[in-house]
Amino acid sequence: MRTILSDVKGRRFLTKRRIRQARNLVLGKEINQGLVFKLILYAVLIITSYIYMNPMLKMLVKMVMNVKDLVDPTVTWVPSSIYLGHVAEAWKLLNYENSLMISLFIAVSVAVLHCISCGLAGYALARLDVPFKRTIFFLLMLAFIIPPQVIILPTIMVYTKLGLNGHLITLILPSIFGFGVKGALFVVIFRQFFMTHSKSLEEAARIDGATALKFYFRVMFPLARPAILVVFLFSFVWTWNDTYYPRMFLSPTGDMPLAMKMTFIDTALGQFIQNGGFPEYMAEPIKMGASFLTILPPVLIYLFAQRYFIESVERTGLVE
Amino acid sequence: MSRKRVLTARSLRRLEGTLFIAPWVIGFIAFLGFPLLFSLYMSFHTVKILPNKVAYDFVGLKFYREIILNSSALYDKLIPYFQEVVLMVPVIVIFALMISILLNQKLYGRFLFRAIFFLPVIFSTGAVLLQFINQGEGNLGFLERFELGGYLDTFLGDSSWAKPVKEVLNHFVLVLWYSGVQILIFLAGLQTISTSAYESARIDGATPWEVFWKITLPAMSPFILLNLIYTVVDMFTFPSNPVIELVNTGNYGFNSALAWIYFFIIIIFLGLVILIYSIMNRRHAKNYV
Repeated sequence: MRTILSDVKGRRFLTKRRIRQARNLVLGKEINQGLVFKLILYAVLIITSYIYMNPMLKMLVKMVMNVKDLVDPTVTWVPSSIYLGHVAEAWKLLNYENSLMISLFIAVSVAVLHCISCGLAGYALARLDVPFKRTIFFLLMLAFIIPPQVIILPTIMVYTKLGLNGHLITLILPSIFGFGVKGALFVVIFRQFFMTHSKSLEEAARIDGATALKFYFRVMFPLARPAILVVFLFSFVWTWNDTYYPRMFLSPTGDMPLAMKMTFIDTALGQFIQNGGFPEYMAEPIKMGASFLTILPPVLIYLFAQRYFIESVERTGLVE
Repeated sequence: MSRKRVLTARSLRRLEGTLFIAPWVIGFIAFLGFPLLFSLYMSFHTVKILPNKVAYDFVGLKFYREIILNSSALYDKLIPYFQEVVLMVPVIVIFALMISILLNQKLYGRFLFRAIFFLPVIFSTGAVLLQFINQGEGNLGFLERFELGGYLDTFLGDSSWAKPVKEVLNHFVLVLWYSGVQILIFLAGLQTISTSAYESARIDGATPWEVFWKITLPAMSPFILLNLIYTVVDMFTFPSNPVIELVNTGNYGFNSALAWIYFFIIIIFLGLVILIYSIMNRRHAKNYV
């Protein structure tokens, strides 16, 4: 009798445990561990990223549609064939090789100069004995919130006086001193990075009698690799994408970077259509092709640097 | 060498510090300080560009009065844009916070999603975005599908908010595209919350809902402020910002005044953000005690 009872009890215990195991698998011990939660999470993320990327995907599809697909309302997502004529047309309109080289030249020089100049300023603010440090830090914050529109007109006047207006160098010049597109932010990034480093290295160098400049370029700058990567990538991308400064500083007929050339595509295409170059529905895929060509280089660089980049953001102590 | 010996160690270090910061300070004076003051000067003057010189005639507050009393630039363009910004900033920050919390879960393929949500930072160039806005890409599609436009009209009526609300809804996805950096900042911020705080909360029997409000949100509050400010600053160059068109080389005096009014509104805006933030923070601290 007793053995039977205990057997039943044991069995009941076993099934209870099995139920609990199953429940844990589905619902999880904690709310964020179970299968149901994971599934919901995936669903939410996938749907959001679909909505998020929708304009991009549409752009890619529209770009490769041929004329027949464009006028056919049943074709929304899958084109009947991949047609590269629009991209070729956009290539020609953008004067792609030329604009690409200009964009690369400007963005790379600005990014390199930002790494050097903002690094120096950031290091000084984080570690060195700078007179009026608080005032300078306040000016840095001010530099961050001043809209470019407030200072653009005097800058144009000065550039005109110096005979620089319309020259590509006007876009690079501010970055020598750590200004230009979001320069203040890069100083802050470097500052935050150097703040998190231990002071022992500097003390050792000081005892050895190294000057700050030598020490900085020999030791600290190479150590700042994560911060350099982050600043370089952001600076490159933002300078590449910037259309405000080029539009104000450059002449509308001369050499110009890709992002700015894009703004002229509209007018160029409008004229083409008016002159009977091609029907109006052709304009959109060409614009999309031009957009694609403009954003392709930074996207490629990002895809390549993506892994190191996100790691670096975490290591820069950007937010501490 | 002999000069160096005269300097004390402290002043030598000061000299080094000055040397390091000098380029930035020179740059500040040349590229921000001087233009800032000069545009303030110009906003009180009529600027005439003559063949060999520039003439400035003092007009006092004339331009400011003109703009504030009746100008389409301020009331038809700037104010509606600021109404849009008022809507966009919370949308962006809340979206970024939600996505970063989702992405902070242990999840297979997290890197892929992270990359997707960061991608727009790489390609949101003004011209391309403007292209999307003009073609009506980036709306969620529910305005037409559920005939929401009609509801909005009856709800908001003729109030000045109707247009900004619709405008924002029309390029909602593109607004969300401005949350890439913010997600990054929030993700880095979430890493700073220690796991032991969550563990002890769980042992005390707190529900996830309570954990979010009592642990995650307070710990994230400095990052929320950071992101609010960053988002407001980021909106300077949002492609539909009318100031980009308005401040041109047409009329230096008038446009400088307009730019300064714009700057002034932004300072008030940031001041309000910081004020609201500190009030909320204090109230929260009280609740804790």
